Amino acid sequence: MKAALTLASKLTVGALFGIGCTICAPRSLRADPLRLRADAIGSTTSPVGLLVLRGEDKFKPWLDAEAVAWVGATSTPDVTGDALVLTVRARDLQGRGEVRVGRFVHVSGAVRPLHIDGLRATGRILASGTSVEVFTGAPVVMRFGTRPYDVAWGGRISQIAFGTLSFGVSYLQRHVGASVLDREVGPDLTFAPTEWFDFAGRAAYDLVSSRPTDALASLALKTGPLRTEAFVTHRSAGRLLPATSLFSVLGDIPSTTSGLSLRLHAAPRLDLWATGAALVQGDELGGYATGRASLALDDAHDGSVGFEVRRQYFGTARWSGGRVFTRVPVSRTFAATAEFELVVPDKPVGTSKVWPWGLLAIAYRISPNWDVAGAVEAMRTRDDRNEVHGLVRATWSLEKL
Amino acid sequence: MARRVPPHKRAPLTLALLILCMLVGACAGILGIKKKTDAGHPFEHRKHTVAGINCLTCHGPIKEATENAPITLPTTQTCLTCHKKPHDARDCNGCHGDQSIREGAMAARKHLKFAHKRHLPAVKGQCVPCHSEAGSVDPTSLRPAMAQCFSCHEHKDQWATNDCAGCHRDLPSEGSRPATHLVHDGEWLREHGIRAAASKELCSNCHQESMCASCHGKTTAALPWKLAVGDLKLDRLHPGNFMARHPMEAKIGGGLCTTCHAETTCSGCHSSKKVGAGTGAKSPHPVGWVRAVGGSHGTAARLDPVSCAACHGGAGEMLCVGCHKVGAPGGSPHGPGFASKLDKKKDLPCRLCHVP
Repeated sequence: MKAALTLASKLTVGALFGIGCTICAPRSLRADPLRLRADAIGSTTSPVGLLVLRGEDKFKPWLDAEAVAWVGATSTPDVTGDALVLTVRARDLQGRGEVRVGRFVHVSGAVRPLHIDGLRATGRILASGTSVEVFTGAPVVMRFGTRPYDVAWGGRISQIAFGTLSFGVSYLQRHVGASVLDREVGPDLTFAPTEWFDFAGRAAYDLVSSRPTDALASLALKTGPLRTEAFVTHRSAGRLLPATSLFSVLGDIPSTTSGLSLRLHAAPRLDLWATGAALVQGDELGGYATGRASLALDDAHDGSVGFEVRRQYFGTARWSGGRVFTRVPVSRTFAATAEFELVVPDKPVGTSKVWPWGLLAIAYRISPNWDVAGAVEAMRTRDDRNEVHGLVRATWSLEKL
Repeated sequence: MARRVPPHKRAPLTLALLILCMLVGACAGILGIKKKTDAGHPFEHRKHTVAGINCLTCHGPIKEATENAPITLPTTQTCLTCHKKPHDARDCNGCHGDQSIREGAMAARKHLKFAHKRHLPAVKGQCVPCHSEAGSVDPTSLRPAMAQCFSCHEHKDQWATNDCAGCHRDLPSEGSRPATHLVHDGEWLREHGIRAAASKELCSNCHQESMCASCHGKTTAALPWKLAVGDLKLDRLHPGNFMARHPMEAKIGGGLCTTCHAETTCSGCHSSKKVGAGTGAKSPHPVGWVRAVGGSHGTAARLDPVSCAACHGGAGEMLCVGCHKVGAPGGSPHGPGFASKLDKKKDLPCRLCHVP
């Protein structure tokens, strides 16, 4: 607890120091343009503060920095905090390459996303559309902790062709101590030859366990106001679990989902969505279906009213539900939101046969820099308790161009 | 030859069609099909242009406007230089001019690096080639389309590398989306992982590192949807009473929870709320789940290890090793046909059980 408080204090002091320096520094020393944003979210269960800092230097446009840190009290007894992002980026203004150093989430190609403290470098040959990306770093441990000898590295090589086709191959290797956790390799592809057709897919294969770990594909067709998407998702638990987990060696039954999603822009203010999918895990077969309609209350789509229905049927996870929602912009600065949901499980837990939930919220923009919102959330829990929570958000942002 | 439908059978169909047409007509305004009539009308640019009035007569300061100059909307005083006897004492802009067109122009001034001073000599003082809508009877926007910029400028390199900073001050905060942009609604939460794989550079035009980290970062407690308190987000990841549904959602998610949540998230919350595994807490598992020898958990885990992983993602070492060590009563946890290139004496998790 003491350690956590100390860390939270350090983060707060650091953030305040940063803001103070920025505001008080002579104009000539400031990064410009500069963007600061701070969100404070209070709830009856867990107040959290989030600070987002971004800075660019107009004298050195090839350099910028970004930081996101949070401090808060979670539902667990201790006060916690951490930095999510803390990076400095240097880039070639012509787009021939960039280097990023610090803490960031490395997302690239078909291999799994990694939150690392490390470095990523990208080089591009503009004439041919070829890119090469390499990264290395230590996987993030909570609260700036360290695990000696944990390291990850990898890269991606990609090519853009005809302006419509982009494909690449990526590789990732993770170590814990002296052990290799996984060696993942996979291709990725995006193909959008026309405005009405596009395809994207990726697949990953683990060289250690010699099995596919992840494969996703999406094919979308757009004809007038209708967008139709067919998708397939195949995931192995081994990909999602830490490779040190014994669950990764139980037999690893993959989960496959395939379905169809439709979106119809039925009228300038009316949108309809429908999704249906079949789900297979081992011998178990099930699926889900969702439908939603949303009607805008004005041409700017600031206000809306709509409903959603859902049916899920898989193993013991079976339920039906519906949700109605509305957002009414009372004025340019003031808006009210209301949502209500009712879920009926096929096999009730406890004595409660339905799980109702409702939320009432108001948002008020005090000034261009200040934005506040408050909400009351009421629900019936699985274990037959009625709960009411309050949520408050205050956002302050500063943008200096 | 098609058989004619008797009139008495056509009547219900005709009536139904009539009612449907009437309903659509009645709802046209609500659905946005009917043209709005209550808003202010656009400024009469066409009338002025046809009368031969040069744009700079009203927008004079624009010829010296640099990248950081304010927007040059004419004031009532500007109008009065020609319209000596106004028909109304009120501010001209109050009625003459559509607010949405003005806001579009102000947004362009704020978000784009554009100097009229530099462009006017190149187009010989002619505004209409770019602002062609000014000649329209009923313009919806006077902001030139991006394609208009590309008709003179070639930004091949920037386009190829998705480097938009040459013209856009800050696309992420701008929040604008070209008409041909990817659709980000409906099932985008599911789709984004597929489409971002090969198009990261496209995404980074609008989204910073913090966007990925707010979900995929392993140390966050700030749930992204909470940041949007007061907004209505239809594609929220955990909508409504997710707390009541989460065991069922986790089951169909295929272990997907661990994409965003740290391994300790489940156990931490269950322990603090005295629900689920933990000292003194009640277990969510049925009676007989774990017995001195066996229990139903082994069969369930083999059938559906994904469900175990949804809550016990990183705890396999602690939970299983006690019983499933080589020589321990739990025996081998491996499924049929299990294979691995890991060194069972050196690598994790093998060595937890295979090294005495």
